[in-house]
Amino acid sequence: MRRRRRRRLTGATSKGPAWVPWLFLLPAALIFLVFKFIPMAEGIRLSLFEVRPFLGDIYVGFENYATILQDEKFLTASWHTIVLAGGQTIGAMVIGFLLALLLEGHTKSLWFVRSAVFLPVVAATAVIGEIWRLFFYPAPEGFLNELISWVGLGPWEYIHDTDTSLVSVMFVGIWKHAPYDMVLILAGLAGIDRQQYEAAAIDGASTWQRIRSVTLPALRPVITILLTLAAIRGLRVFTEVYVLTGGGPAGSTDVWMTRVYTTAFEQSEAGLASAGSVLLFLVTLVLTVSVQWYRRRREAR
Amino acid sequence: MRRRTATTIATLSVAALLAGCGSSTPAASNKDPNKPLEVWTRSTEATAKVYEKIFKSFTEKTGVQVDYKPIFNDFDKQVQQRAASKDLPDVVVTDTGSLGNFVKQGWTTEVKREDVAGGADVVDRAWNNGKGADGKFYAIPFSTQAMVTLIRKDWREKLGKPIPTTWEELDDLAKAFTRNDPDGNGQNDTYGMLVPGTTDRGYLAWWASSYIWQGGGDILEDEGDGKFAVGIDSPESTKAVERLRKLFCEDKVMQPGSLTLGTNDAHPLFESGKSGIYLTGPYMIGRFDKSVGKDKYEVVASPRGPAGATVLGEGENIYQMAGSAKTADQRKLAEYLITAEAQQAGMKGDPQPVVRLPVNKNVDVNATYDDPRWATVAGVYSSEARPFPSVPNFAPFRQKTSETLNSIFAKCPADSSAELKTLAEALKKELDNQKASQ
Repeated sequence: MRRRRRRRLTGATSKGPAWVPWLFLLPAALIFLVFKFIPMAEGIRLSLFEVRPFLGDIYVGFENYATILQDEKFLTASWHTIVLAGGQTIGAMVIGFLLALLLEGHTKSLWFVRSAVFLPVVAATAVIGEIWRLFFYPAPEGFLNELISWVGLGPWEYIHDTDTSLVSVMFVGIWKHAPYDMVLILAGLAGIDRQQYEAAAIDGASTWQRIRSVTLPALRPVITILLTLAAIRGLRVFTEVYVLTGGGPAGSTDVWMTRVYTTAFEQSEAGLASAGSVLLFLVTLVLTVSVQWYRRRREAR
Repeated sequence: MRRRTATTIATLSVAALLAGCGSSTPAASNKDPNKPLEVWTRSTEATAKVYEKIFKSFTEKTGVQVDYKPIFNDFDKQVQQRAASKDLPDVVVTDTGSLGNFVKQGWTTEVKREDVAGGADVVDRAWNNGKGADGKFYAIPFSTQAMVTLIRKDWREKLGKPIPTTWEELDDLAKAFTRNDPDGNGQNDTYGMLVPGTTDRGYLAWWASSYIWQGGGDILEDEGDGKFAVGIDSPESTKAVERLRKLFCEDKVMQPGSLTLGTNDAHPLFESGKSGIYLTGPYMIGRFDKSVGKDKYEVVASPRGPAGATVLGEGENIYQMAGSAKTADQRKLAEYLITAEAQQAGMKGDPQPVVRLPVNKNVDVNATYDDPRWATVAGVYSSEARPFPSVPNFAPFRQKTSETLNSIFAKCPADSSAELKTLAEALKKELDNQKASQ
């Protein structure tokens, strides 16, 4: 029954030549080929060369990979990337969850507040970076420093001190990504059967118990998706770091992508940079596949 | 019927796409001699207007059409992107600092100095800006400059301090600007020195090199015959860096946030009265006259350190890029840009000149500018300025030096000599790489 209905929805029939659907796919496939797959293949090819467009490339095999894996700056950068990705993922999810709990419901005013809260996600990352640069102005007259001075703190140097720079960048990331997580969690919350809450309430469960035993288990699929997305996003973090600090001060916020960028465009080492990109791609691939595999296994149980 | 329509639509769209792909052969523009000459300059909107005028009179004189693109942000990166697709612009006007990289990558073509019409009018010192490590020329100079110190005159006079002539006086003035409320607004919100201290493009090394030289130190010491030795860990260099570290870490007279500032973000902090001392090129004089006020700041030669008042003196070059089908037009444009007429037009740019100091010896700085501040700049250039050494590619040295200095000023170690030793080893390795070590 279910199968027949789905067929009718997509309108596919057994009539007509088999290649027609492929013909429809072809334009998209061609665009993907030209703008995605060929450049990717080219990147992988370049990672094996010392790239010099006007003098001729030199084949170096896996030397670029070896150089990167031994490069202290790349190792520091990968550590920063992991810390940043982890912190932003968890931070954004916790804040997003709290926001979702606060803003759940159907009231008109809630709809407005939710849209307002969602704004950071829509704004361009470069713009956000510039604005937060202003907020983070490290002297007492800076915006954030003025705020925290009301409660007797500061002035702090935020992104300008090697001890706090990474945390400050992380904070901006959480601020930007939490509303996105909120929206997905809201959708998950809407799918929870109200009767479960009522039943729990009748049994005398406290709010915390209800969240722990009803809400969180019901949100598990949403959380898995969010984790996967956030991990990929976190590993590829670039714009906010580049605009906020450029990887400084003293390389304290250098992440994998800013390193790749510097290597390619400051040092003109396109081959090395390609190798770095390929490595990042492989790590992301392994991570995504293992999360999927883990989830399938759990679901199968 | 409906099925046939669908098939037709699909076929047509694929056909259209294929046709679209076929017609666009990339990298065609430079191979086509009928296209106008593509010229890039590293310019803001204001200076682009000056270039436009110059190119317009060039076209009127020679009939060569110019397709002009001013680019300011990430200039080198954009050149690089074009190089990657083997389609460079025909002519590029940018910093002398790009020379090493351009030569190493084969992006710029060799220039025979004696074949350039009017080349004899260009002063020897300027020609050196276009000289590669092999002694051949790879670019024609267009503009030169020397770093000068800009000081908020009204602040200095309010605090009753003299124009600094030594490091001690300069540091003292910076401390006074930071602590004694020079703008008189009752708040402790001003700072001594403004430093574009980001490691992006190695800015910090650009700024610090003048002070290192003034202390008798050096990043690389020229040993002659294209060979160099590392000088960044010498006692003199270490002492010079120590002084800067002290200004950052102990006296705290530097503009907060300096270590992530590029020049673009730095200029407004001088303009808005945050910092009072700024070691920079003279190219901002016109803009600061409008934003700060001509009477509110002064342009002075850098105060003397233990070993003198040496400052960085570089400039801009005309690069005739590789792979162009219009070599004759490239040359024509370069030859026009070094004429007295074009140089003067470049100096008269409003609000900012694109030629700071002329490379053509027939142009009189004083007569053209009629401004004693530019006479100061010319004086500093002729007596105190020196360029970065012409190793095959200075960019990696600049980059590594700026990263280490950034780290020293950010982390404030008790003593910077250990970090400088590590840097010296890295620079030595790079010299070996470039086959420029002894």
